[in-house]
Amino acid sequence: MTTDATTSTQADNAALTAVLAAALDAVITMDGTGRVLSFNPAAERTFGYRAADAVGRDMADLIVPPDLRDAHRRGLSRHLAGADPVVLDQRIEITGMRADGSEFPLELTVTRIAAEQPLFVGYLRDISDRRRAEAELKASRARLVTASYEARRRIERDLHDGAQQHLVMLSMTLRLVRAQTPDDSPLAELVDQAIRELGEATAELRELARGIHPAVLTQGGLRPALRALTRRMPVPVDLTDIPDGRWGAAVEATAYFVVAEALTNVARYADAQQASVSVREEDGKLVVCVSDDGRGGADVNAGSGLSGLRDRLDALGGTLEIDSPPGGGTRLLAEVPCES
Amino acid sequence: MRATVLIVDDHAGFRAGARRMLEAEGWDVVGEAVDGASGVDAARSLTPDVVLLDLNLPDASGLELVTTLPASAAVVLTSTHEEEELDDLARERGARGFLPKSSLSGASLAAIIAAG
Repeated sequence: MTTDATTSTQADNAALTAVLAAALDAVITMDGTGRVLSFNPAAERTFGYRAADAVGRDMADLIVPPDLRDAHRRGLSRHLAGADPVVLDQRIEITGMRADGSEFPLELTVTRIAAEQPLFVGYLRDISDRRRAEAELKASRARLVTASYEARRRIERDLHDGAQQHLVMLSMTLRLVRAQTPDDSPLAELVDQAIRELGEATAELRELARGIHPAVLTQGGLRPALRALTRRMPVPVDLTDIPDGRWGAAVEATAYFVVAEALTNVARYADAQQASVSVREEDGKLVVCVSDDGRGGADVNAGSGLSGLRDRLDALGGTLEIDSPPGGGTRLLAEVPCES
Repeated sequence: MRATVLIVDDHAGFRAGARRMLEAEGWDVVGEAVDGASGVDAARSLTPDVVLLDLNLPDASGLELVTTLPASAAVVLTSTHEEEELDDLARERGARGFLPKSSLSGASLAAIIAAG
């Protein structure tokens, strides 16, 4: 080797050492027998071993939880025996173990260095914080959706306990006045008119309250609430298999508003002759299906109604699928986890 | 003899209005109660022919109370809500029926009891 080449190799090694020392990810090299060859500072911070203690040890014993070690060793043996690599050169998420035995989620890429002897380099990153943030985000979205349903229920209850009660009182008083007013009195017509207008105001307020949150859903659950909903629809709706049970308020409200939104779309856009609604409980989920024989072509991204529904379902860990080929009717399938 | 009725509702205004309206049409309002617990007590001691029972009471749902009231009383649930399904629910729970508050009158209450 020439002096220049030696200098160049030394420079390369120094650069490699600096890269590994500064790397934010744990970088561990391992030979074909599973022994640790190098353990960079990030690996020391991540796993709690000093490099001097880690090098030469069996890597599985060091950083793989006991119940996963056999699988790790079998995979390595299979690969060395010529099987196609399963985990090489791709990002995977696994569970790692620190020196104190605590386990944590990590993401990992393993690559094999082309050399006479098998040599593997693993790049590993502790993703505990990300997982925690994801879990908190998911929980907070679910809380927001649940809180929005609770707020709607509270508004409906406040309307019911407040304005609607007062209007009912007023209606009773007016009817008493009317009962005591002779039919030929000039007041009779005025009182009748007041009763009619009050009836219209009460009906409008009742419709508003029902749209915010239907009382029959709180009182009786999904089955009577869906019966009431479908009865008001201008398109005939076949309502089948609606279970009689009760679920959490957010689950029932989500399932109800899925059907309400879907049927509103059927009435407005589908030009359908018939629609059908079914609900069943399956594997801890309420599976809600709304279909029609209309013109199809519904797009979940086109209107705020369906995309808003999908957001709410997503926040609760549920799903929304729409199959709506042009001319082929629309089928909306939603799954709501019962534990929401 | 006039038919007797007990009004169970947490809204004083409704109780007073319902009393005036029913008495004006010949009913004998024998008592009022403000919640489920006192309603059940009053129904047991007053043995009315009819209990006019609000759907939303502070301590209970009227639907849940129906079976705890004396069997001798015909129970009619009432509310400012007006869903037809509430009538089905009320009947399923053993009540005689459901009467929206906006439709309450001596005649409409008598009609539900008669149709029973």
